[in-house]
Amino acid sequence: MSIVLDQVTKLYAGAPVVNDVSLDIGDGEFFVLLGPSGSGKSTLLRAVAGLSGVDHGRIALHGRDVTHVAARKRGVGLVFQNYALFQHMSVADNIEFALRVRRMRARARRQRRQELLRLVSLEGMDERLPAQLSGGQQQRVAVARALAHKPEVLLLDEPFGALDAKIREELRRTIREVQRELGITTVLVTHDQEEAFAMADRIGIMNLGRLLEMGEPHELYSRPATRFVATFLGAANLILARRTPDGIQIGAATVAAAERASGERENEVVTVVRPEEVEVAATRADLSAGYLTSGVVDEVVFTGALERLRLRLDPAEHGTLLAFGDEDSTPALQVTRTQHEQRGFEVHPGQIVAIGVRRVHVLPTPLSSFTACAGTAARAEALKGQLLLTELAARMKTRIGTRTEPQLGLSEAPCQGSDTFVGTTVIAAGPEGAQQAEWLLRRGARDLLALPADARAPQRVLIHWTGESARSATLAISASVLRHVPAEAVYLGIVAGDAASPAHPHGMRELLDARSEAQRSHGLEMRTELHFGDGERQLTRRLAEAPGQMLILGVTDLADFTQRFHGLLQGACPVLIVHRGAA
Amino acid sequence: MSFRQPSILPGFGLTFGFTTLFLSIIVLLPLAALVLSAASMHWADFVNTVFSARAIGSYRLSFGASLLAASINLVFGFIIAWTLVRYEFPGRKIIDALIDMPFALPTAVSGIALTTVFAQNGWIGQYLEPLGIKVAYTWIGVTLALTLISMPFTVRAVQPALLEVQRDLEEAAETLGASRLYAFRRIILPTVLPAILTGFTLSFARAVGEYGSVIFIAGNLPMKTEITPLLIVIHLEQFDYQGAAALGLVMLVISFVMLLAINLIQGWGRRRHVGLAR
Repeated sequence: MSIVLDQVTKLYAGAPVVNDVSLDIGDGEFFVLLGPSGSGKSTLLRAVAGLSGVDHGRIALHGRDVTHVAARKRGVGLVFQNYALFQHMSVADNIEFALRVRRMRARARRQRRQELLRLVSLEGMDERLPAQLSGGQQQRVAVARALAHKPEVLLLDEPFGALDAKIREELRRTIREVQRELGITTVLVTHDQEEAFAMADRIGIMNLGRLLEMGEPHELYSRPATRFVATFLGAANLILARRTPDGIQIGAATVAAAERASGERENEVVTVVRPEEVEVAATRADLSAGYLTSGVVDEVVFTGALERLRLRLDPAEHGTLLAFGDEDSTPALQVTRTQHEQRGFEVHPGQIVAIGVRRVHVLPTPLSSFTACAGTAARAEALKGQLLLTELAARMKTRIGTRTEPQLGLSEAPCQGSDTFVGTTVIAAGPEGAQQAEWLLRRGARDLLALPADARAPQRVLIHWTGESARSATLAISASVLRHVPAEAVYLGIVAGDAASPAHPHGMRELLDARSEAQRSHGLEMRTELHFGDGERQLTRRLAEAPGQMLILGVTDLADFTQRFHGLLQGACPVLIVHRGAA
Repeated sequence: MSFRQPSILPGFGLTFGFTTLFLSIIVLLPLAALVLSAASMHWADFVNTVFSARAIGSYRLSFGASLLAASINLVFGFIIAWTLVRYEFPGRKIIDALIDMPFALPTAVSGIALTTVFAQNGWIGQYLEPLGIKVAYTWIGVTLALTLISMPFTVRAVQPALLEVQRDLEEAAETLGASRLYAFRRIILPTVLPAILTGFTLSFARAVGEYGSVIFIAGNLPMKTEITPLLIVIHLEQFDYQGAAALGLVMLVISFVMLLAINLIQGWGRRRHVGLAR
């Protein structure tokens, strides 16, 4: 491995800008770090270069731990977005800078310089000053300069940002050729997904300081695991569907699921439908793909090779089909069609069409949508507008529904609404929080979020479960939440009794198991803490310790629920309860 | 150069004419009067006045102390500018504003203030006295006053140039293996050197012409702590206008030669940089 990052964390003013990133990059690999601005990708690159330190974690280059090694001793070449050429030096002096520092003889320097100039096709430009070169040529000089001292790793920080499209294309090709010829391990940082696709052997996608997913470009595009990656890499329609024993039921269509569900019962899932996988036709019978619903053409944009459509879905049939957008506005479906498809069936704005889907990818995310539940419609609406909830929903591009249960919390009273609970049910935390939670959990709600009225996005998410059968669901949901919230994850292990008790070694093992499972199955890095004593009391105490915390709690057993969790659901902080019955 | 770019100000003819006229009235005419006045002296009188031991002593002090003051400002002014540009700290704005204070203060006030502090019974002077260091009424005091009043010039000349030096350049040098000192010497210094020299020149010019603040702290002992501008005033008070003009002419010539020399060095340095990049 050329570059190994192990749990690298970088804090800025107390908040993580790079959050627990672990990554292995192989010899000669061209790795692209892709993400929106502010996702921490540049900071991570600077940490690899040694220009900024890390607060936690380890960085190794070619097996050498360089975490505390100065930038000038790391043997990396770095290319900046704005070239950063030494303006008062000629091209030759710029390129030879690293060689002069190393006191190389003039003859050897000249020879190396000629070699590099040939490599970046700038022969004969030795005597020019940077100001006399075009942007593309300056960046070529910067690449040559970064390679002069034969670094083991080449780092490129948005190197094409300041160039126009044509030059960019050309320089991309040059850099890829140089990289192949030298076989040098390269990391490129960019926010341009097209660039990432064009250059990468492997792409890693970052958001909010976390490395969300990595893989080969094709793999990531066709099988993303998270909403963010699905929508950031190309366009995507996120559609809520139901997983049934027969397959994925999406709109009117039932599509065979590519990946089998892990034996779980019927539940709501989030699916990704790429715009090019949507088919439109005059009638349902003309569709060659499975019929989804009907809709109205809202907009037709001609973009050359492709045509882009926006379709308004028929609200009568499946008004809440799309995961994002709230219920009031009609959701829109994005479609792209080739010339060939356009010739087959021409569409105009205002036309009613039948919509089919050719391929559906189910996101493995356990969080689909939210339903705000309260005793009266007004209270449910108020809860729906809660700050943290709307923020979460916006980040997860999902919708918030409402549900009124007049008898919420009254024991023995039946459910008013349908007896299936879809997605995550949200209630207001407070004195009656625990009672209402038990009521809903006993009637089939599986994931339940109790929100204090003034809750904000947490800085730390505490994770704990009572009972082993809730473990994997709790970890999966924690990982999903933490992908949308820039917070630190902490697993709380609680061992009954005191530190000296014989249960101690067992508790430690549980802790380590939890940590490694989170990492292996969910890509979730968490810190661990071990506490001794009574479970609920320890949780309540730990939550009271600092503001800005959230608890994700897995439970299996509902006996005495109200008494046990009364204190926790009082409203000190948001609590997400994951209920999975004992297997 | 057959056609000129149109610009928002009226044409070249008008602006050049104005420049010439303005410079003539404000700068050249008074200087000419000075030369003429000195020229009306007898040669022997001129030599006597200009090369008298007292005059030579004053030249040495005036130019020596000014050069020293400009050199001190070169180092410390650079450090101040660096601190203000590179670091963010509480009170930075206030310190930034304080730099300009010597500009705004009547120089006599600076002189009186310095004397109060550095006189033998002053706040600092009383502690320096036992150490055998006398500041007020010696050449040290003169240098101190000149340093104070010429300091803003260096800082204000270097500051914008330092702002121009991007962090990226240092980081690039660092990843290429350069130590901090090496990067400073080869990257930062060459980039800001012209500005530093400009600051030095301005400081020096200001110090040579200074009068108000120095006379309070200098003590004005002939041959020892008497600066040339003061000698000129003494001549004037004795109604010896020609003598004053003669001394003024000498100052003018020496200043001009020194400023020209610095400018030449600056130009040569710039060429050498481009030349180095052969």
